[in-house]
Amino acid sequence: MHVIEVQDLVKSYGGVRVVDDLSFSVEEGEIYGIVGPNGAGKTTTVESIVGLRTPDSGHIDVLGLDPMADHYEVAEQVGMQLQESRLQDKIRVGEAIELYSSFYRAPRDWRELLDLLGLSDKVDKPYKDLSGGQKQRLSVAVALIGAPRIAILDELTTGLDPQARRDTWGIVDTIRDDGVTVVLVTHFMEEAERLCDRIMVVDEGRAIAIDTPAGLVERVGGDQTLRFRPSEPIDGIGLEELPEVDTVTLHGGHVVVSGHGNVVHAVTALLAQRRIIAHELRIDQATLEDAYLEITATPPGAAFTTEREAS
Amino acid sequence: MAATMQLTKVEGRLFVRDPIALFFGLVFPGLLLVLLGAFFPGFTDPSPDLGGASYLEVYAPIALALGLATLGLVTLPPILGGYRQFGILRRLRTTPVHPSRLLSAQLTVHMAVAVVAGAAAVLVAIIGFDVAVPELPVWFLLSFLLAAASVFALGLLVGARARSSVSAQAIGMGIYFPMLFFAGVWVPRTIMSDGLRTVSDLTPLGSAVQAMEDSWFGTTPSLENLVVMAIWALVLGGIAVRMFRWD
Repeated sequence: MHVIEVQDLVKSYGGVRVVDDLSFSVEEGEIYGIVGPNGAGKTTTVESIVGLRTPDSGHIDVLGLDPMADHYEVAEQVGMQLQESRLQDKIRVGEAIELYSSFYRAPRDWRELLDLLGLSDKVDKPYKDLSGGQKQRLSVAVALIGAPRIAILDELTTGLDPQARRDTWGIVDTIRDDGVTVVLVTHFMEEAERLCDRIMVVDEGRAIAIDTPAGLVERVGGDQTLRFRPSEPIDGIGLEELPEVDTVTLHGGHVVVSGHGNVVHAVTALLAQRRIIAHELRIDQATLEDAYLEITATPPGAAFTTEREAS
Repeated sequence: MAATMQLTKVEGRLFVRDPIALFFGLVFPGLLLVLLGAFFPGFTDPSPDLGGASYLEVYAPIALALGLATLGLVTLPPILGGYRQFGILRRLRTTPVHPSRLLSAQLTVHMAVAVVAGAAAVLVAIIGFDVAVPELPVWFLLSFLLAAASVFALGLLVGARARSSVSAQAIGMGIYFPMLFFAGVWVPRTIMSDGLRTVSDLTPLGSAVQAMEDSWFGTTPSLENLVVMAIWALVLGGIAVRMFRWD
């Protein structure tokens, strides 16, 4: 079931189309990633979903509601963590969360929520004395206090240190386990790869690819490289003939094989058959980051079929 | 309703946690009268320059106006500018509560502080320096509340547009000092030239000082003074609400 459906969304600022005919839909219960370079229109898109911005044209449906006309109902059901949004310096953690809980019809228990986010021992701490990670977690708590069905998290981990980032990922998993659909805007590919069920790559306001993380990696060839020092010469064993292998090159005593699909298995199986041991074996696989860089380097619409164009 | 109450409670607490706002908004008007009355020789004696009134009697309504101006033009605008700058208004827009409730919470808090500060200053004058109890208390209270409304509306307009705390502060200060001048902080209205006093009568605090002084010492405030304040309050307040940037 779609919980968010965006069709042909267009939004311009000063004659520039920040969001240019964007269409996508989010399924209930998934973690949906929106990635793209700065200025790609990610924030404008998610802010339109909650009715913070008025689209120039297009249609947005959130849980069967119109974010502009039914703004208050959408606000009840969609929790949003905004990029670069702070709380008052002197507001205490407990006060902030209790205050925001008073805004909703059926809020979650704020003590439980602080507990879930590891903030229960910070109840009396003023906002300004929190660490970056704690501020972000409080921001997530504020987004979740209304017991929303959808949580939109915009640049959740920007500015956090690696440990705090990983802790925050755990929280996103927890939110989803609670049955909340998550829309995650990020420019960290590692984060998107680790958390998202599906990812939309946005560039210049257009969706240039929508797929699973693995699907995106595969789209750019899913290239894999094996590098090893064989225990015996490999001439004539037929590595080049394997259908999965694209190239075989020699670098001193090392062999570098690049290929696709199940190339790792094909190569190691052949080596085993010939009783050749692959010393110092290293396998490099394309990551989402590689895929992302390749996808966004291509002019929009040129090489990759979007979901919209396909349908 | 619960949301408005909570907002007012929290904003009230935040105000109390700001020592500078608390000092200048709450304590300063009364303290100013104490300092002037206690340390300036002859400040409490009747003065022929002021038509037989003492400087303290002239300064008591001025101190009240000063307190209102400080709250409305120095404290309020940077709070609103900061709430815009730091995305607090924007975050409220993602909740079912409209950010205008935050505005009314702020105005309630500032009004409450103004009333307490004003009452303290009046008590200082009465108890500390034998100034008469306001002789027309209803007119006096009305004058005070209209004064507060007009100067808060001005501050609200600044806070409605300013993109940051600092710019709100700069604009607020730029209005604050001329307002104080016309209120008679440096040159009391009684010794202003006629032309200057006419201009002063058209400003919210010039009218405020005159109306409070009149009703304090037994004269019904002039309709013009009250109307000037009401117009400032309604017109600026209306523009402020209409032009308020919610993010």
